[in-house]
Amino acid sequence: MTAATETTTIDTPLSRPAPRPRTVRRIRWRRIGSNAGWYAVLVAIAVFTVFPFAWMFLTSLKGPADPLTSVPPQFLPTDPTLAAYERVLKALPIPSFFVNSVIVSVTTSILNVLVASLAAYPLAKMRFAGRSAIFYALLATLIVPAQLTFIPSFVLAVNTFHYYDTLRALIFPALVSAFNIFLLRQAFRGVPNDLLDAARVDGAGEFRIWAQIMMPIVRPSLAAVAIFTFVTSWNDFLWPSLMLHTREGMTLPVGLAALQGFFSADFRSIAAGVTITVVPILLFFIAAQRYFVRGLAGAVKG
Amino acid sequence: MTFRRPRLTPYVFLAPALVLLAVFVVYPIIAVIGYSFTDFDIVRPPVPVGLANYEKLLNDPTFWLSIQHSFVYLLVTPILIILSIGLAIIVNRAMRGIHIFRALYFVPAVSGSIAIGLAWTWLFDRNGFINSVLLSWGLIQTPVQWLANPSMVLPIAMLLTIWAGIGYYSVIFLAGLQNIPEELYDAARIDGCNTLQKHRYVSIPGLRPQITFVAVISSLAALKVFDEIYVLTGRTGGILDSGVTIVFYLWKQAFVLGHAGYASAIAMALLAITLVFSIINVRFLERGDAEA
Repeated sequence: MTAATETTTIDTPLSRPAPRPRTVRRIRWRRIGSNAGWYAVLVAIAVFTVFPFAWMFLTSLKGPADPLTSVPPQFLPTDPTLAAYERVLKALPIPSFFVNSVIVSVTTSILNVLVASLAAYPLAKMRFAGRSAIFYALLATLIVPAQLTFIPSFVLAVNTFHYYDTLRALIFPALVSAFNIFLLRQAFRGVPNDLLDAARVDGAGEFRIWAQIMMPIVRPSLAAVAIFTFVTSWNDFLWPSLMLHTREGMTLPVGLAALQGFFSADFRSIAAGVTITVVPILLFFIAAQRYFVRGLAGAVKG
Repeated sequence: MTFRRPRLTPYVFLAPALVLLAVFVVYPIIAVIGYSFTDFDIVRPPVPVGLANYEKLLNDPTFWLSIQHSFVYLLVTPILIILSIGLAIIVNRAMRGIHIFRALYFVPAVSGSIAIGLAWTWLFDRNGFINSVLLSWGLIQTPVQWLANPSMVLPIAMLLTIWAGIGYYSVIFLAGLQNIPEELYDAARIDGCNTLQKHRYVSIPGLRPQITFVAVISSLAALKVFDEIYVLTGRTGGILDSGVTIVFYLWKQAFVLGHAGYASAIAMALLAITLVFSIINVRFLERGDAEA
């Protein structure tokens, strides 16, 4: 069964309560009352997870009249200003970082899903010599830490592909992910064989079956995998930090790390920089939230 | 039943993935094995030195320290599993607005390690929030230099990893919980189980595949930890190498000090540890399947 069909049901009964008669509604309100304790727990955990971001944001707004450090801590700025944002935007080309991150993440996620879905189709639905050998070889690459390959990959980038200090250096090595191949193979296996056989009887070739039957059916899985790849790529740091040298060519995480060196003790500016970079990915997350659940839940159906 | 197809088609579909894997995974692994037997600074051609790098490795206290730190870091795995299951049980109930809370808990997982690392650096700064609170409560008299304290760097980084991971892994456990049939809980109730026993005897066994999965991915992630250390220690690895993990040491030797040959030997150690780990994990997995 695919990840999608298993998990789409998770939120529906909760998030869309059907209109109910008055008596039932009253009962529900009473239940909420008895749930007060649980809400307290949920809010406490939420404070714990969100607080470091909130503190960053509040720090970024604090003006010269607000002490950065005080006992007890001062939460709200009394003298709010956007000066820190101005300083950061003047010192570092954050719009360029943003554009670079978008280019890398969009290209990587689209092409990666394309490559993975092509590879996943025969692994899910065809019989051929070497299928299990290829499958286990893919499995083996999963456990190899990527950092292991960075030294040769660096040499390749400089000497062979000549893409050191370009965005291509980030995109090309990220075009294939064995993990994504597995997830999509799992999704393809859920497509009924009768459907494929019917298409074959009608004379469709394998590429047509892949493009016009398989891909549309597993679209929710494709979206989940693409979105996960997007976020992973967006937040990737170590390899991009090795490859990107010119300031204008950096992605957001690499530029953000440069910010730390640039404004070493100016925490208002660092906080402003962090806020600027976190907001876009949070908006993206809010928009695509359901796919995260789907993708993560699907990962375990091995 | 699938039809028999022309022989070439599956390979055509697989070709892009296999070519990319060959270039960006298989070749580099073979190459790094080769580099580990050379004196190499990434720029000039490598010079063979036999086993010299490995001999150096055995006598390098920082290397052993980094391995020790990486093993200590693995402690995040059981903690993450316990806390994430707990959180999954808490959010696995029909309450108004529960999906908003679930989303909030996931925020650290999407924000990126550099951003959250900087946020934590500020929390634990000498002038940061933690010291402000502890001072105002009278728990400390003078500000603590958290990140400049060799015994604190690793625990703070681990705390950061746990904090960022709970929401992420609890989504996996939540999906698992929702696949456990309600009848099992009913049966447990009839048998006289209290809430705690219900989770002990129904939830935990029912989550076995998820537990295995999270154990594998979170321990592999712990062995590879880098970003948190990099940001929290301001790319130094901490005073007296107190935060240096195996990947951090690999990075430092290869890309800061230019000892790529030596770093390749460190990479081999990382590979060996990962392989041993994966074998243990597979054993564990197979045992789980046999019991299920």
